[in-house]
Amino acid sequence: MTLSTSPPGALDGALALVVELGLPVMSGVAEGLRDAGAEVVVLRDPRLAGSSDEVDAALAAALGPGRAPALVVLSLLGEATTALGPLDGVDLQAWRAGAAEPIRIAMRVLTALGARMKPAGRGAILFLAPSLSLVGGAGMVALSTALEGQRGLMKSVARQWGASGVTVNWAAAAPRALSPHFDAADLAAKGDAVPVALGRRPDARTEIAGLAAWLAGPAGRGVTGATLMIDGGEWMAP
Amino acid sequence: MTAMDWTSTAGLLAGRVAIVTGASGGVGRGLARALALAGARVVVAARSPAGGGETVAQIEAEGGQALFVATDVCDRDAVRRTVEAAVQAFGGLDIVVHNAASTVARPTSLEDIDDALWAEQAGVSLDALHHLAHAALPHLRDTGRGRFLVLSSAQGQHGGAMNPAYTALKAAQRGFVKALAREWGPHDIVVNALAPAALTDAARAYLEADPERTREAMKSFPLGRMGDMRDDIGPAAVAMCSDLWRYVTGQTVNVDGGYYTAL
Repeated sequence: MTLSTSPPGALDGALALVVELGLPVMSGVAEGLRDAGAEVVVLRDPRLAGSSDEVDAALAAALGPGRAPALVVLSLLGEATTALGPLDGVDLQAWRAGAAEPIRIAMRVLTALGARMKPAGRGAILFLAPSLSLVGGAGMVALSTALEGQRGLMKSVARQWGASGVTVNWAAAAPRALSPHFDAADLAAKGDAVPVALGRRPDARTEIAGLAAWLAGPAGRGVTGATLMIDGGEWMAP
Repeated sequence: MTAMDWTSTAGLLAGRVAIVTGASGGVGRGLARALALAGARVVVAARSPAGGGETVAQIEAEGGQALFVATDVCDRDAVRRTVEAAVQAFGGLDIVVHNAASTVARPTSLEDIDDALWAEQAGVSLDALHHLAHAALPHLRDTGRGRFLVLSSAQGQHGGAMNPAYTALKAAQRGFVKALAREWGPHDIVVNALAPAALTDAARAYLEADPERTREAMKSFPLGRMGDMRDDIGPAAVAMCSDLWRYVTGQTVNVDGGYYTAL
């Protein structure tokens, strides 16, 4: 099957920021947003895991002073979060780094983004994450905890910021479409005769970037606090 | 509303040993009393000796067995000692109920969450789960009927706007429950979360301050009221910890009088 790219011009001239901390999952997303006409800035900066001032500095270095992106696609999976193994083998330090700290990092990054985007009166923020936290997974307690925490944060912030015109959403993608890291994970499997309705994983360049572009456009501005399953119809949750 | 018939749960948890954290008052005390009424011997784990002692006294007055162990759930060694105390006093451990929660409940914008607030809330929500899971696992595995129940909140599901830190941590606990249920399933340990709409003292004070607001608020509850901690929330926890619910795991159960029908 030949996949068409996102509608050319859907993001014509808009500033799109792709933020990635830790595990690389954004392959293809930045290209897809460029296909849609966006000016794309990719931010991979370890300062994102630091203090509020360091996060602000990382954003300023990437965007310049005061520029507000129309669209942000972000993944904040620190390396510690993605360690695989049973909980009883995870010490307290690793637990905090894997389960709690990614939530705190997401708070700081959202705060810094909000300072730029809320005054602009509109904008779309989309978390991109593996769908595994919605179903849980043995050996991934810290990762599931961190992801669901970030997802809960997304909903809370969507409510707090709704009146500002900034939307915040969550894309839960098939894990192995995001990273080969999850090839080694003991992922929960859907037991149906047709476990994935579309029979394939999502394509990042066209379908994940396309979803993000849609959310940033006029038709997507009424969607906030939503969890959008982009897993080809595997879990169909809720 | 008819009174709860506690004879219907008598013996459901006979022979079981339970730890309930944050049981010096409020929801935790109600849960501890309910588990004891169903036959469990209960370790009341809390920081406050006065409140914990009162919970023990109430359980004993209702014919149950309980032991207070001073516990700060953010302290790994304290949690370990509490588990050891349960095993030593009652011969094992079958049920862990993590109810302790942050006492900070003021409305907070995302931008106003500082590191101190975060550390306080993350400690009692997430560090405590780590400590409890590590300390309890060998015993829950041995019993063959282990139960790990986390008191959560619907805020983590619907995205409460009041406090993003609280909402995020309650959602995180839900992720913890789902993953741990899969990890511990082969050990026959059931892991769930319960999200109550409980008429705590704080909720009662808030509602009593404005009767009109209370009447409006109660319209959102199909059952027309918030839940009594012992008689409404407690029986659900008893069922979730008993053999009746042994095939339910990885779930967040809203015990809220029907308040949230969309989750």
